[in-house]
Amino acid sequence: MGDMQPMNIAPDQAKSLAQQAFEPVALRAFGLALSRGDTKLAQNLDLSLDPGEAILLTGHNGAGKTTLLRTLAGFVRPDAGRVEINGQPLSETAGEQVGWLGHTDGLKPAETVRQSLAFWMRVQGGGKISPLPTLRALDMDRWIDRPTGRLSRGQQRRIALARVILSNRPIWLLDEPAGPLDGQGRTRLAEQVQAHRSRGGSVIAATHQVLDWSDARLLNLGGTS
Amino acid sequence: MSVLWAIFLREAGVAWGGGGGAAGPTAFFLAAITLAPLAIGPAPEILLVVAPGIMAFIALLAVLQSAERLFGDDLGDGTLDLYALTATSLPWLALSKTLGQAFATLFPLPIIATIGGMMYGLPPQPALILGLALLMAIPALSLIAGFAGALVAGVRRGGLLISLIATPMMIPVLIFASSAGRSALVGDERDVASLLLTAAVSLASIALFPFGIAAAIRSRLS
Repeated sequence: MGDMQPMNIAPDQAKSLAQQAFEPVALRAFGLALSRGDTKLAQNLDLSLDPGEAILLTGHNGAGKTTLLRTLAGFVRPDAGRVEINGQPLSETAGEQVGWLGHTDGLKPAETVRQSLAFWMRVQGGGKISPLPTLRALDMDRWIDRPTGRLSRGQQRRIALARVILSNRPIWLLDEPAGPLDGQGRTRLAEQVQAHRSRGGSVIAATHQVLDWSDARLLNLGGTS
Repeated sequence: MSVLWAIFLREAGVAWGGGGGAAGPTAFFLAAITLAPLAIGPAPEILLVVAPGIMAFIALLAVLQSAERLFGDDLGDGTLDLYALTATSLPWLALSKTLGQAFATLFPLPIIATIGGMMYGLPPQPALILGLALLMAIPALSLIAGFAGALVAGVRRGGLLISLIATPMMIPVLIFASSAGRSALVGDERDVASLLLTAAVSLASIALFPFGIAAAIRSRLS
């Protein structure tokens, strides 16, 4: 009962993601005020993210990195200010423009990698793209028929990253994307981020780790990372 | 529509594959209808009279069993975030998800209620009408339970709150569904009216509760 339709797109028929440039999409935040309970996290924060850009959010635990990311995704309503994508309110655009990687991976243990990616590609509208090149780039193609519950934490993170890539959305919001990844995984992540930016995509990532992303801007929300 | 169908199938699959599917509610229902006569007494005339009410009440409790996990698991593993970032409207998505889960977990209940009714002494026709009434009640019961589950998703000891929130809203369905079986038993022509009222409550639930579930999900995500 649980089997989704298998992805029957042959790799040679699939469009290559790398060959598809995004329409220019810019994210702007104006005068954001954020809080968690009684704690003020940010006041009058402006933020701009243009096509091809990357921003690394840093700061100590509780500085508000995740809250800012969730605000930019539209999950959290700011105390003041607004977020727009190409001049449109976030509520009208986030569902088509934002690829999200939270601090949890959004995987169901009983589903295989193939089923999980097929489902989200259908629901998030990533188009008819074979997942195999992306999985191969993340060194996960051999696990495609394995239940996600039987993958390691780092492997699950890679599958969640594959889902973001395959959503084919220009703005990526990543919360601790490299958390459980090993050195090779962080390199693969950096390669995918660079490929995404070269297509005109943009990335904001909250991180405690030093990520070697070329030309990424740093935004420190307080304290040391 | 294909996206909603995909969500329906996926949620049914997740409930079946990862959550035990219909096994939990079915086992609960079987245990309850077996144990109830031990408490009520074995007198056939008493069991005959109480059968419709007992079956409807146990069905209500069986539906509540899985309500805590319906949205709680998705909140915990990040799936709700991903659902919120789709182009599909959240109320439609909530409807597909809830009914998909109900389809996977609750489909045996009307059948067991029909058989259980006959075990309690109901003639076949009233037993069938009782089963039909429960079939019609399942959308309403599952959406009410889903609404309560979405409200308390991520809350510790949410099961208690779900019972307190959902049970009062389930009273009309309980009354109409059991009334259909009772009316059929005594030859009262109100059985059809009760069936239609049960269906009406389910249709109203389909129209209203997805909006409540969507609002609750947005609240939990923030």
